Amino acid sequence: MAAHSSSHAAGGEELNYLNWKTGLWSWLSSTDHKRICFLYLYSIMVFFILGGIAALIMRTELATAGPTIPSIVKDPHTYNVFFTMHGVFMIFLFVVPGIPATLGNFLIPLMIGAKDVAFPRLNLFSWYLYVFGALCGGIAMMNPVDTGWTFYAPYSTTTSTNVSLMVFAAFILGFSSILTGLNFLVTIHQLRAPGMTWMRLPVFIWASYATAVIQTVATPVVGMTLLLVIAERVFGAGIFDPTKGGDPVLMEHLFWFYSHPVVYIMVLPAFGVVGEIIPVFSRKPLFGYQMVVYSSVAIAAVGFIVWAHHMFVAGISDFSAKFFSIVTFLVAVPTAIKVFNWVSTMYKGSISFKTPMLYAMSFVFLFMVAGTTGIYLAMLGVDVYYHDTYFVVAHFHYTIQGGAVIGLIAALHMWFPKMSGKMYNETASKTAFAMLFIGFNLTFIPQFILGMDGMPRRYYDYPVEYQTLHTLSTIGAYLNGLGYMFALLNLAWTAKYGKVKAPRNPYNSKGLEWQTASPPPHENFDTQPVVTEDPYNYGTPHHA
Amino acid sequence: MLGLLGDQGSDFAHKVDYAHDIVTIISVICTVLIVGVMLYFAVIYRQKDGKDHETPHIHGNNALEVIWTTFPTIVCIWVAWLGYDSFVDMRTVPEGAMEINVTGRKWAWDFQYKNGKRTTGELVVPVGEPVKLIMRSQDVLHSFFVPVMRTKMDVIPGRYTYEWFRPIKTGDFQVFCTEYCGNEHSKMLARLKVLPKAEFERWLADDSEAKKLASMKPSDRGKEIYAGKCIACHSLDGSPRVGPSWLKLFGRKGELSDGGTYVADENYIRESILNPAAKVVKGYPAQGMPSFQGQLSDDDITGVIEFIKTIDGTTKVDVAAPAPKKSAAAAGATPAERGKALINDAGNLCATCHSIDGSKLVGPSFKGLWGRKEKMSDGTEVTVDADYIKESIYKPQAKIVEGYGPVMPAMYEGKLSEQDVNDIIEYLKTLS
Repeated sequence: MAAHSSSHAAGGEELNYLNWKTGLWSWLSSTDHKRICFLYLYSIMVFFILGGIAALIMRTELATAGPTIPSIVKDPHTYNVFFTMHGVFMIFLFVVPGIPATLGNFLIPLMIGAKDVAFPRLNLFSWYLYVFGALCGGIAMMNPVDTGWTFYAPYSTTTSTNVSLMVFAAFILGFSSILTGLNFLVTIHQLRAPGMTWMRLPVFIWASYATAVIQTVATPVVGMTLLLVIAERVFGAGIFDPTKGGDPVLMEHLFWFYSHPVVYIMVLPAFGVVGEIIPVFSRKPLFGYQMVVYSSVAIAAVGFIVWAHHMFVAGISDFSAKFFSIVTFLVAVPTAIKVFNWVSTMYKGSISFKTPMLYAMSFVFLFMVAGTTGIYLAMLGVDVYYHDTYFVVAHFHYTIQGGAVIGLIAALHMWFPKMSGKMYNETASKTAFAMLFIGFNLTFIPQFILGMDGMPRRYYDYPVEYQTLHTLSTIGAYLNGLGYMFALLNLAWTAKYGKVKAPRNPYNSKGLEWQTASPPPHENFDTQPVVTEDPYNYGTPHHA
Repeated sequence: MLGLLGDQGSDFAHKVDYAHDIVTIISVICTVLIVGVMLYFAVIYRQKDGKDHETPHIHGNNALEVIWTTFPTIVCIWVAWLGYDSFVDMRTVPEGAMEINVTGRKWAWDFQYKNGKRTTGELVVPVGEPVKLIMRSQDVLHSFFVPVMRTKMDVIPGRYTYEWFRPIKTGDFQVFCTEYCGNEHSKMLARLKVLPKAEFERWLADDSEAKKLASMKPSDRGKEIYAGKCIACHSLDGSPRVGPSWLKLFGRKGELSDGGTYVADENYIRESILNPAAKVVKGYPAQGMPSFQGQLSDDDITGVIEFIKTIDGTTKVDVAAPAPKKSAAAAGATPAERGKALINDAGNLCATCHSIDGSKLVGPSFKGLWGRKEKMSDGTEVTVDADYIKESIYKPQAKIVEGYGPVMPAMYEGKLSEQDVNDIIEYLKTLS
């Protein structure tokens, strides 16, 4: 049906990006960055749920020593399939596209005052590539892969499972990621509103910029590596297979050359989110804005030369191990700087504890744990002990879940009013936060202790003395899962049935995205915005 | 200091643990400080009336930025040095270290000593001597992790890697495979046995086992293994016990419990020994057999297969001779010691299905068994006392603990005397 007027939809409602066209096809063919955000959001949630179910099945199996649920996990192979599924779905299909493609799509044009991204049709194409990759991955699970998400050779080049198709899926997903990164780079360079100088960019934009650089530069390497794995399996190329003169350690180098920087693809945007949330709810400018910006860039840059810290016991030379240990410590410093600046932003603030702020504050704690336990793993002698134990598992879940995923959930609450035009329910959201926070720590603190006791990872079965800690971890996992379910259902329900309409700027934020309607119109701003001040210009100028 | 990583078994372990302690203390202090400051700010600067208040316009502070860039840098350098220092120790092998060749394969560890002696699943070393492991893999990546020694190294096909340690105490320690290697990754374990020097020399020089094996027909070797490990559950005369009889087993076709079919060829038998739950013959319990992964070498398995091929209905095998019982008695041992010998006696087969470390095998573990209240599969509860144990040994099917199958063979009536059972009970008491 044709719209009655240029600014009102059929029901007399304001015309916005959600209602200016209707029908499924209007979504699937939309080049509007805000709609593409939702295309990503719904698709990544499918894999978040599937990956989460796989995690809960693993945790249930591990609740007791020996077989626990033989009806579902009938043998070790089934267990291996579940942890592979958990890793592949969570990393390649949820977290990597999670914040960059989902939030980046919604926020980058709005925050810099643009109508859309630089290449809107390419943007939609990236999503279709993602869907194609996801379908290949889904089909590959018909003869489910049992290699773990790392696809280490020669196991991955010799196992009878469907590795080639799964690896091809990851290859396609890589292209989706590269194109999104390129698109964002050009957008940030070319489409900034008048007055939006580089040093006035919100830190989320800086984080997204650093992320996009990594996506564009590192992803081709993993693409190449994955093609080599296929060449090895299909043509017997002999690149990684030692019986043909190949080298399995080369595969590890190539894999981590991408997969370490990818950690920053996952977590840098979350840093950006926290940097956005804390100033708004403290009513203070972000402390040390420039240092926060430079530290993002530094992390992205140093992130490229630390990959072999995943390989201290992989048979690399002692000299390489020493080199990579030392450069790894270089990442710790800018990360610490960020934490100090976030906390200092709260100094003499006027702090309110809305749900996004609770997530941001919990992020600081979780990331301290993630960061300090990372120090153990950067230390050569200690890493030799911890490598491939549950300590590593707990550490990277604190970074990826406690960092990236908590950042995503924080952002979904923070920008929920802008995305949906409704206000979320504070009580329900805070209850979900509490469940999730307690559940998360209960899952992974026991795993740190298991690691100290030497429990290796990727074990279907374990000596009985580890059982108590495993049982605790399983209980935590269920609470954690319930928390996520509650948090997301609450948001989904409110978006559809919520009664409280969101005002244009409910948090009284200085951010450009809050200066347009909630939800924004199709092309974001009615008139071209002009930027005249710093991004976090809270407080009284002469009060200091 | 903190002892977070447990027992220290090698001479560089204390250095690793020292580095670990230092970084633990620094981490806890930093986390508590930063989170503490954050919570302190959150409390004193909270909006008490729900309204935005005037706030100062603070953009940053250069002195602070310099301090909190320099301080973490210095701490990082120190900590990196501690990690580096302990690493150098574990990569620098002392002159004259004893070399042992280690081969990882799906899914067992083989060891070979300079004098040709071989073991599978058990690495025996002398206390106080540096030991260098020269490692390679036959198939995929593995990793040799000895937690108590604080050392680990990947084992790679197509190249050699090494690790070394100098044990500072005797005892039995756990070895794990820590690089994912497929289905039985979590069963790719080994024991590290650290012996006093003289005892180790005796063990190393003892080649009677190897000589015997070298001159033995494969089927005889299989027969010996049958007598020691398999006889309780598999008959040779066609009668079903806990598992299918081995009479005319080779080449037999039949139905599996999941509806599929099997042909008992070499590969089927091999798989059934290493991963018994994979293909269970219809009518037999799913968890009735423990895996012999890591306990039997390839030659052992071949021997068993060859033995199975020879079984023709006239084959007779006696349970392995209960020799240790006599020697234990002769040594004037206490009842508990005699009980222990009986439990460990290969001919009695107890240890095949019951652990003494609490781990769940086919039957309940002996650890903590005495005096425990057990729930039975019929819903009743029984306290484990002398009468219960006696009944369980002589009439295993009378009462079954919940969660276990009725799979224990009734073969001890007449084999173990009243006195034997009492000795076993005395030993079980020591395991609580």
